[in-house]
Parts: sequence; C-alpha cells; structure tokens
Amino acid sequence: MGQGSAAKAPRIDPRLMREGKRTRGALKLSVLLGMVAGWLIIAQAVLLAHVVNGVIFAHQRLADVTGLLWGLAGLFVLRALLAFAAELAAFRASRAIRAELRHDLLAHMFARGPVDMAGDASADLAATLTDGIEALEPYFSRYVPQMALCVAVPLAILALVLPLDWISGVILLVAGPLIPFFMVLVGYRAEAINQRQWQKLLRMSTHFLDMLQGLTTLKLFGRARDEVAIIARLSDEYRRVTMEGLRVAFLTSAVLEFFATLAIALVAVLFGARLIHGHISFYPAFLVLLLAPEFFVPLRGLSLHYHARMTAIAAARRIYELLDAPVSPRGAGVLAPMARVEIACEGVGFAYEGGPAVLAGLDVRFGATGMTAILGESGAGKTTLIKLLLGFMPPSAGRILVNGQDLAGIAPESWWGQVAYVPQSPRLLHGSVADNLRLGAPDAPDDALWAALNMARAAEFVRALPGGLAAAVGEGGSALSGGQVQRIALARAYLKNPRVLVLDEATNSLDGESEALVLDALTEMAASRAVMIIAHRLSVAERAARVLVLDQGRVAQDGTAAALMAAPGVYQRLRQAYGEMVA
Amino acid sequence: MNEMRRLVRLFAAQKGWMISGLAIACVTVMANFWLMTLSGWFLASTGIVGLSSFAVQNQFNFFTPAASVRFFATLRVGARYGERLVTHEATFRLLAELRAWFFGRLVPLAPAGLKDQRTGDLLARLSGDIDTLNLFYLRVYVPALAAGITVGLMTLFFAWFSGWAALWLLVGLGLNGVAVPMLTARLGHKAGAEVTSTMAALRTHYVEAAQSLPELLTYGAAPGALAEAAALNGRLQAAQGRMAGYAGLSLAASGLATNFTLLAVLVAGIKAVTGAGLNPADLALLALGAVAAFEAVAPLPQAFAQYGQIKAAARRVFEVADLPVPVAEPAVTAARPARFDLALEGVSLRYGADRPWALEDVTLRVAEGQRIGVIGPTGAGKSTLINLLLRFYEYQAGSARLGGQELRNFTPEQMARLVTVVSQRSHLFHTTIRDNLLLARGDADEAALMNALEVAQLADFVRGLPEGLDTVVGEAGIALSGGQGRRIALARAVLRPTPWLILDEPTEGLDAGTEAAFLRDLAPVLAGRTVLVITHRPAPLALVDEVWRLEAGRLMAGPAVAALHKA
Repeated sequence: MGQGSAAKAPRIDPRLMREGKRTRGALKLSVLLGMVAGWLIIAQAVLLAHVVNGVIFAHQRLADVTGLLWGLAGLFVLRALLAFAAELAAFRASRAIRAELRHDLLAHMFARGPVDMAGDASADLAATLTDGIEALEPYFSRYVPQMALCVAVPLAILALVLPLDWISGVILLVAGPLIPFFMVLVGYRAEAINQRQWQKLLRMSTHFLDMLQGLTTLKLFGRARDEVAIIARLSDEYRRVTMEGLRVAFLTSAVLEFFATLAIALVAVLFGARLIHGHISFYPAFLVLLLAPEFFVPLRGLSLHYHARMTAIAAARRIYELLDAPVSPRGAGVLAPMARVEIACEGVGFAYEGGPAVLAGLDVRFGATGMTAILGESGAGKTTLIKLLLGFMPPSAGRILVNGQDLAGIAPESWWGQVAYVPQSPRLLHGSVADNLRLGAPDAPDDALWAALNMARAAEFVRALPGGLAAAVGEGGSALSGGQVQRIALARAYLKNPRVLVLDEATNSLDGESEALVLDALTEMAASRAVMIIAHRLSVAERAARVLVLDQGRVAQDGTAAALMAAPGVYQRLRQAYGEMVA
Repeated sequence: MNEMRRLVRLFAAQKGWMISGLAIACVTVMANFWLMTLSGWFLASTGIVGLSSFAVQNQFNFFTPAASVRFFATLRVGARYGERLVTHEATFRLLAELRAWFFGRLVPLAPAGLKDQRTGDLLARLSGDIDTLNLFYLRVYVPALAAGITVGLMTLFFAWFSGWAALWLLVGLGLNGVAVPMLTARLGHKAGAEVTSTMAALRTHYVEAAQSLPELLTYGAAPGALAEAAALNGRLQAAQGRMAGYAGLSLAASGLATNFTLLAVLVAGIKAVTGAGLNPADLALLALGAVAAFEAVAPLPQAFAQYGQIKAAARRVFEVADLPVPVAEPAVTAARPARFDLALEGVSLRYGADRPWALEDVTLRVAEGQRIGVIGPTGAGKSTLINLLLRFYEYQAGSARLGGQELRNFTPEQMARLVTVVSQRSHLFHTTIRDNLLLARGDADEAALMNALEVAQLADFVRGLPEGLDTVVGEAGIALSGGQGRRIALARAVLRPTPWLILDEPTEGLDAGTEAAFLRDLAPVLAGRTVLVITHRPAPLALVDEVWRLEAGRLMAGPAVAALHKA
C-alpha cells in the first residue's frame, strides 16, 4: 500500500463517517456546543470593543462601563460551562466506535482461525487493536466537529464584519477559503507519506517483539549488542520518514499561520492609514482587530486535527483490511451430542492456494476408540491431515464425515466441542495452572484437575510448584520446562473429556521414562475415545493400536506396528534408519 | 519528579536540539504577543491622531509602527514553522536514543533477569511506554520552560504601562498555567496511570490471543477471550472517560482564569487612564496583550494532564531497566584460554535464595576434544548446566574452570565466542533465511551458507523455495516446520567453528529417519570440538564417549556407552 494510497484515501472517510452513526447523538451535541461557544466569542468581542472605545474616545469612567463589564463576566461563565460539556461530548463521540471495532476485529480473528491468520504477525495485530483503534479517537472527537465549526463560526464573523467595514470583510473573505485550498493541496502529499510512516511503526513493533523473544538466541551468538545498533538505526529511519511527512504536514499549518497573521497585519495597517485621516472611527476598527484572529481559530483547529485525520485514516485502512479479510466458508450445522465419534475421510485432497497438492485422494476411517499413530517423513501431509480433521480448514477435494455428517456442513464450534487438540508446541495462557486446565472445562472442581494432572503424569511437579494449582505460568509457560508445559497441555486435554483427542508430536519434550507414563495414559484414554497422534518416534508407533503411514499425501501403509514391520515399505525404511543408529 | 530528572539526564546527548526547539518556541509566542499589542496601540493612536489637527497628523510617525507590525507578522510565521520542525526532530532523536538505551539495558538481563516478565508486556514497555515518554519533551519540557520565560517577559512589558495590570496578568497566567493544571494533574494522576497500565494489559491480551488461536478455538475459550478483552476495554475507557472529565474541568477553569484576567486588566487600565494619566491608546494595547499572552500557557493544562501518564510510563520503563543484572561483571577479565578443558568442582547453583538447588555439588571434568552426553528426566537441571556454562546465571558455590581460569572471570560475551549452542529453543527471526544464518557469522558468503545448509540437510528445501535464501521466515518461524527450524539452527552452528559445541536436545522434533541422517551428518561438524550433548533421546548419545546422568540437580555416572549403543 503506502505509495498509491493517496488516490484511495477519500474512500476511507465515508466508511469512517458511517461508523459515526453509532455515536450520532454525541457527535451532534459536540458540534452544537462548539458553535454556541463560537458565537459567544463574537458577543464578547462586541462588548469588549464597546468598553475600550468608550474609555478612549468617549472618555467614559469605570462606573460608566460597569454594566458592560458585568455582561462580559456573564459570558465568561457561560463559556466555561460549554467548554466542560463539549469535552465530555467529544469523548463520547468515539467511545462506542472504538469498543465495537475492538470486539469486531478480535471476533473476526477467531472466525478466520489459525490457518487463515498464520500470515499476520501477532505484534502487528496487537498494535492495530490497541494503538490503531486509539488513533481513531481524535478523528471523531476533534476532526469531525471541527469541520462543522469551520463553516459556522467564520460565516457568523463575516456577517458581522462586512457591514462594519467592507475592506476588512473582503480581506477575510479572500484569506479564509485560501486556507482549505492550500491545505488540500499539501495535505494529499502528506497523506501518502503518512501511510508509509504507519507501516513503519507497525514494522518496528513487530521487529521489537521478534528481537525480545529471540534475545537469548542473539546473546548466544554474541549479536545482542549489534541489535542495539540496529534498533537505533531503525528508529533513525523512522525519524527520517516521519519528519519527511511532518515537514509537509507542518506546511499546512504554516500556510494557515501565514494567512491569519497576514490578515491581522493588513487589517491593522489599512485601518491605521484610514484612522489617521479620520475616515473611519475606532470602534469598528478595534472590533475587527479583535475578531480577525477568531476568524482563523476554527481553521487553525482544523489544520491541527488534519494530522489526526491522516493518522486515523492510515490506522483505519489497516483495520478495514483485517476486517475485510475473507473468512473461509464454514458450516452452520450442529452435531447431536454423541457418545461415539467415527470419522471417515473420503477422497480427501488438499492444496494451499497455488501450491502443489499436499494430500491427494486420501481414504481413511478412524474408529470411535483406539490410538492411531500417524507417521511419515517431513512433508508427507501429517500436519495438514490434522488441520483438516480439526476443521481449521476445509479440504479442497473429497469430504470428511463425522458419524456420517459432512464436517464441512457443521459449525466449527460444534465440532470443537467434541475434540481436544495438543499442538506441537502447546501454549499456556498467562494465569495459573488451574486457569489453564479449566480452559475447556470452566466448572471442573479441583479434584478433577488433580485427576487430569495425574493422568498426564504432571501432578508431581505441579504439587512442587509454589502455590500448586494456583502457581502462575508465564507467557508460553516460560517458567516451566518444555516437557512440563506439554504435560499440562495434555492434562488440559484430558480434563475436557473429548470424544476425539488429536496430538501433534505430543510426547516430544519428554524423556523416555515420562514418555512411557504419558503413553500409558494415552492408551487408557483411547479405550473410550479416538486418539490420533502424529508420531516422530517409533516408541509411540509401537504403543498405538494402529499405524497410519503417509507418503506424499497418500496412505502408504495402514496396520499394526508388528504387521507393518513384517511388510516391506516406508515403515520398514523408517524403522531401519532409526535402528541403525541404536544398534 | 525523580523520573523526570533522570529522563533529562538520559537525553544529555541531544541537548543542542532540545534547547534550539525551546528558544524558537519562545520567539513564536513573543512575536504574536508584540504583533497584537502593537496593532492595538497603533489603531488607538491613529484613531486619536485622526481626531486632532492636521499638524499633529503630519507629525505622527506612521511608518515605524506599520513596518514593525509587518515584521512581527513575518517573524511569527517563520518561527512557528521552525519551532514545529525543530521540536519534532528533537523528539524523534530522543525516541531513538531511548529505545536503543532500553534495549541495551535488557541485553545483560536476558534470559535470567527477565524470567518473570511477559514478552508482550515488555513490548508494551519498549514501544508503547517509550512513545508516551516521547511526549515529555514536546508536551511538557518545551511548553513549561517556554511559558516560564515568555510569561516573565510579558509581565515586565506590562509593568512598563501599569503595575496593577502587570500584577493581574501574572496572577492570571499563574492560575491558568500552574494552579489549574496542577489541580487537574492531581485529579488525573490515578486515571492516567490506569490508562497506561490497562492499555499495556490489553496489548498483552491481544498478543496472547493471536498466538494461542488453536487452543482458544478448540477449547471453546474464544468467547471468554472476547469477554476479557471487552472488560479490559471497558476499564480502559472508564479511565479515559475520567480523564476527559478532568480535561473538561481544566478547560473550563483555565478559560475562566483567562477571561477574568482580561477583565481585571481592563479595570486596572481604565483606572490608570482616568486617574494616573496613562495614555488612552495604551488601554487597547493592554486589552489585546492580555488576550494574546495566554497563548504562552495554553499548552500547560494538557502538559500537566499528560504528566501522570508520562510519569507512569517512565516508572515502568525504569523498573525493567533497573532489574538486577544476574551475572556481575568480572573483577578480572579472563584472557582467551589456550586450552578448553572444563573442570567443575562441587558447583552449586540456584535461581534465588528461597529456591531449591538446580545444580548441587556437581563435579565434572571434560577434556578438550572430549564428547560428553548428559541425560536425565525433565527438570533435573540439564538446562541449568547450559546456563552455567554460558554465564547466564551466577553459580553460588564450588569452582568452575575453563582452560584453568575461573568461569566467574568470563563475561557472557566471551563465552558466546567460545561456545555454540544448538538449543531446543533456538529462535528463528522474522527475516530471511539468509539473515537468520548470517546471525552466526556475518561475513559468510553464499557458498558457506549453502554448505551449512547442506550439512543441516536443508539445502534441497531452500533451493526449492522460489526465493531461496531470501525467503522470509514467518513470525517465530511459523512458515517452517519444527524440524526445518531446528535444521536452520544447526546450520548456524556449522557456520561457527567455536571450540565448544553444546547440543541441547539436538534431534527433538525430527522423525526417526531424519534424526538418523542428521546425526550421521553431524559427525564431521563435531570434529575437533569439545562437545556436550544434552538429550533424553537415546540416538544422539551415539555421538559421545561418556554419558552422565543428572537427577534433581545431582550429577552421577550414566550408563556405559557401549551398553547404550546395543540397547
């Protein structure tokens, strides 16, 4: 985006304005309050000019102008009340919009699921959801109301000045419209630059998260110190690009300042020339001088908030890009509660967009109970098969039947209610061990948690943690070892009591002894549900009731480990390659 | 206040930019003040002259004030633009300075000193909080100091005409610029801190949600995560709403202060004109000056309102930056040893005085060129052994020597030059495969990189990618499978011919066939190096001469290698 975006910019405004419907009342109130405040300023100038004129030229004393001074005091109090109310209205003008957009974006992320979201960096998403949405606030609370003020207040001042002195009226009339004209002229260029700056900001925060997560690796290679220089360089680049944008954006305010100041100087000098010859009187001259700066105040506000608009537009573009990203078609059907789940893949094929087929014509059935180990070399299609079974994406060809019902027609949530999944590197959420276990079973009592931990052979180390079940686990469980995280994830899956349990290399981080214990548990689990496990180790395959060997997207072999060992094929090859090392 | 002083000290290198911005800001305000006062005086004087005789009209010097009006108008325009440019330039320079400084502080902390920090939260500190600190110069430093200087000048100017007018102006400006903002800042302090911390919590929540999508979805926890985000947003907006209320109050109060100052100056001026013989034309000057003067203090309420947020952000940033460094700088830095034998004598290490020993009374000798395997159950202390050797953690008891020199005298940087680790947690950066490899050796050429990939059995895969070595690896290497990521980590090790090589669960995540081939190809990489293999899988032990076993932090002799290989 960035470069060619200036042409598309106008399309974001109408869409943002449609968002404004959610807070229409507050927006209107905020405009109205601003206008009334503007008119009060005019009234104040009139009173002030009368006082000064009276004292200097009519030789009035303090007592003669007391009434006017009281009038001024009344206006001041009224303006203070309006200012307070306007600030509250401005805040309300964007509150609901921000809350709803945050909700919609996160809900959309969940609707798209892990496969479709894989291309988006999490730091970039978080930046859009927080800073990006905050950037919309000034658009609604400042920029939009200011647009209305820009018309209403200068027109009222002009209506007052023109009959008083047509020359000054013409000066203001000419200077006024020139300002928006020049602002648009420079503004569009600034907008394109601003887009790039926003991209840069997002890239920077992605880079930082990446560097923080990899800080240990950087240290291991003795490169962490270099990274400090890289961060300095990136920040410097950010400064250059931003300043490039600001140099232009500030031109808009310089133009404004130029016309506003010039108009005041012109009004003063021209009036002076006429006053000195007694052609006009002091009162209109002084009133116009008081009003001339006020004429430009709303326009100045607009230029101030124009930058906010550009930032908001850049942020909105990213927000809408995420919101408009397509959601893969999903079923709406609901699975009836079931005690047994049988799965059948019929001619299932899958290819990523534009890529070669990862799976082709896969026919395989999974019974309601028993453990199936899925084996194959890297790229054989094991992980893809699991993603399809989990309903993270639909097959490109063929169908997957769950108790005879096509999975493509079933709402994913309904299917996820029946399955539990332990990914290759399971993540623990920030919170306690108990919070993590209860993720799929919020009402489970403590003894159920302990039972699940026992099953997963995790009870012993959890008991040893300070606080036990209440012990906090860091992001990704950083306070625990890889094997411990995996066992807690297993316990979490057990606790959900699913009909189908899917594991991706789930015993990976375990030592031989723990692995044997976990495999015992899995075998126990498999007595009453289907268990599918991607196995990279033959020890897992040997414990499974059935071994499914994939090769280049097809089922190469299917049977018990003993039977496969006896027959020539991929399994034997894998087995031999492994055996050579051990023997 | 302490945090603020510390910020200014941090920024010493950019002093020139900071002071230039401040000076131009003062010029901008004063140019406008004199433009308005002069214009008012000019109109009233010409008005008075216009009413008098022709002779008086001819005597009046019209051109000097008219030219001055034009001069101040031009100065104002130029200074405004210059001020914006210079203050923003300074701001971004300070931002760059601050980011690099903060990251530099984190480097010695990782990973030991950062154990309890969430990375998402750290990110919030690094970019969000530092962006907030940005506002310090632009919204606090410049407005506050510029206001102080210009208010002084304007009050002196007023005093020339009327002492009372000057006094009222000073009182009004003080109310507007100091009393009101201080009051609102006190009111907004809590809400400001709440906005900063809730925003950080929200950011962390989103990072976590994005990274845990499979779990949240399959466990039906997505609605819960949505509700938690909504609750956090609610808390954020409640705090922002309170801030808006205080902002409104502050606006109203400062408006009152401004306007009643005008009123007071008017009354003082009128009294002076009628009683003390002040030139009537000067009343117009005072009236317009009293309005224009408030431009100097106009940004102060906002400055004080943000002061709370800035202070909270500064505290959070300093809090992380000030965490104790887990490994002290050695008093005497060891020279690069001539030999690389390792001798541990009764070494004990624990992560805190109240924690159990992670390594207890460990004694181990590894001669240069020897290959040692360490096995043991999860949590037995295998990773701690690595932390010890890499100087990520300080050991509390015993003696550890490398090439005869105490390990305590080596810096982590020195150890990084002597040891290469292929770890189960090697991080793949979100950049090209090439850059991920160059991390290990910056000057490696294409042939060296491909050779390393060849050894790691990844060359064919990389050659098959449309962009080859320049393919970007997804965040945390998501686009690559676990096995492929490990092989990149291995290729990095191939590129670094360090005397020591630590293989930390080297084949985990590889299937049996690939593991076997991988271990076979690993053999030449080990040649001439001292090797420590940490594993719970049997296959990698084929590489070692001697096996030890760790259990609950204690090291004991492991099974005989010959027996292992037969099993």
